[in-house]
Amino acid sequence: MSNATVVVVTSGKGGVGKTTTTAAIASALAKEGYQVCAIDFDVGLRNLDLIMGAERRVVFDLVNVVRGEASIKQALVRDKKLSNLFLLPASQTRDKDALTEEGVASVISELRTYFDWVICDSPAGIERGATLAMRHADEAIIVSNPEVSSVRDCDRIIGLLDAKTKIAEDGGRMPKHLMITRYDSDRAKTGDMLATEDVVDILSVPLIGVVPESKDVLKASNVGLPVTLSDETSPPAKAYMEAVRRLLGENIPVTIPEEKKSFFGKLFKGRAA
Amino acid sequence: MKFKGKSFIAIVLSPELPFDDWLREVDRIIARSPGFFIDRPIILDVRGSNIAIEDLEQLLADLRERSIRVMGIDGVAGTRLKDGMPPSFGGGRLTSDVDVPGPAAQPNGGGDDTSTDAKTSKAANGNASSPEKSVEGNDQAANGHSFAKSLEELENQQAKEGNSSIVISEPVRSGQSILHPDGDVTVIGSVSSGAEIIAGGSIHIYGALRGRALAGVAGKGNARIFCTKLDAELVSINGLYKVADDFDGTLRNSPAQIRFENETLVFEELN
Repeated sequence: MSNATVVVVTSGKGGVGKTTTTAAIASALAKEGYQVCAIDFDVGLRNLDLIMGAERRVVFDLVNVVRGEASIKQALVRDKKLSNLFLLPASQTRDKDALTEEGVASVISELRTYFDWVICDSPAGIERGATLAMRHADEAIIVSNPEVSSVRDCDRIIGLLDAKTKIAEDGGRMPKHLMITRYDSDRAKTGDMLATEDVVDILSVPLIGVVPESKDVLKASNVGLPVTLSDETSPPAKAYMEAVRRLLGENIPVTIPEEKKSFFGKLFKGRAA
Repeated sequence: MKFKGKSFIAIVLSPELPFDDWLREVDRIIARSPGFFIDRPIILDVRGSNIAIEDLEQLLADLRERSIRVMGIDGVAGTRLKDGMPPSFGGGRLTSDVDVPGPAAQPNGGGDDTSTDAKTSKAANGNASSPEKSVEGNDQAANGHSFAKSLEELENQQAKEGNSSIVISEPVRSGQSILHPDGDVTVIGSVSSGAEIIAGGSIHIYGALRGRALAGVAGKGNARIFCTKLDAELVSINGLYKVADDFDGTLRNSPAQIRFENETLVFEELN
């Protein structure tokens, strides 16, 4: 019997890449050989099943389990490619009030006995869904875009992680990791985007990875595969794989992705300047 | 025309039934300290009591007899109030308790009568606030907890030393609000954009100030604000405030101190 590490992927703001990150991290951990379960907490607006290509196999969902209408084993959906990766989908027809605190607590504690890693995909916002997703986590991955409103929302979420979670109420401190997504090195250079150092400075949370803005992410979600499974050599997949190694405790420096320019591109740019 | 904003700490009276007993308690406070209610803003808080308007009228008359002039009433709709009654008041924020002078009538008396102080202040205030209530935010439950412990320790420390300053040894995050109307606030870490520090005394920030800092809110002109990196949204001392747009641009991102002098805020680089 194993005892899982529960990680919440959260951000406050919507559209920054929480679901993409959850899918990518979960599948990268599964590729390393761990038993992994991803939970979608976004009841009413579920997406994780689409990104992981499991939408056609969903029978029961988190709300059914929380209400005792189905067992966890009935609700878990096994990934098509990786037999040690599972998804616990959210309900699309209910809303977040259908989740109860006790129900979520018992689901998480049961999942802890089956898996090595449980990755919770938090909904946007700071309301019930988001607070329940973070409530029982052991660690948090904060997803931010290099842009001021996203950074400020993350700051708010960090405040909640240090106040409303089980760990915090027991007097502990939740370990936090910062994942910067949709990073564009060119725009950061011209000042259109915040530089990674600025984001780290404002949030004072250690950086776990920087994922570049890339067409590969959209391509992967359209075919229903986590980006770390669809094209392992793509820059975002590499960034996520590196982040997972850091999550596992390896001490490797974070590489800030640079756009690779073709020879002609460089020449052209040089002349234009 | 411009209007100046000023913050005052009001005494909130929460009458308890039966009113006769409660008024006797008020009389006891006045007997010990005749000037206690003089020249202080006083709010009558009758929330949740469903008080009849006639009873309220009688209560106001009883208070007037004792020279307690109520400036506003919290918890009764303005339309229910009669002519000549103080206006309806709402939206207040709780701060820490106002201390009632102890039976020995010594201001800031020795350590042994602090316990009686606490008791009488509870009686006068009806709902004496716990230490957590000194820290508030948009989301009380969210923010209260993380600082509750440190505040409890501080409370003890305060009882021993007789002065009051608090130290927050972690960053103050967006949406959090540190409210300490009795003294100085020191933050070891940054104050994020969207966070605020409200202090009766000075504010010291060993980190970047990106949010709001309001010092000397109880009317203290010698309060100052210090920070190692000034990037604030708003600073205020003694009710006088300035927003980021009106700052002197040369001090941006530098260590700075701000003080109140001749009805203006003076910004200086800190070396």
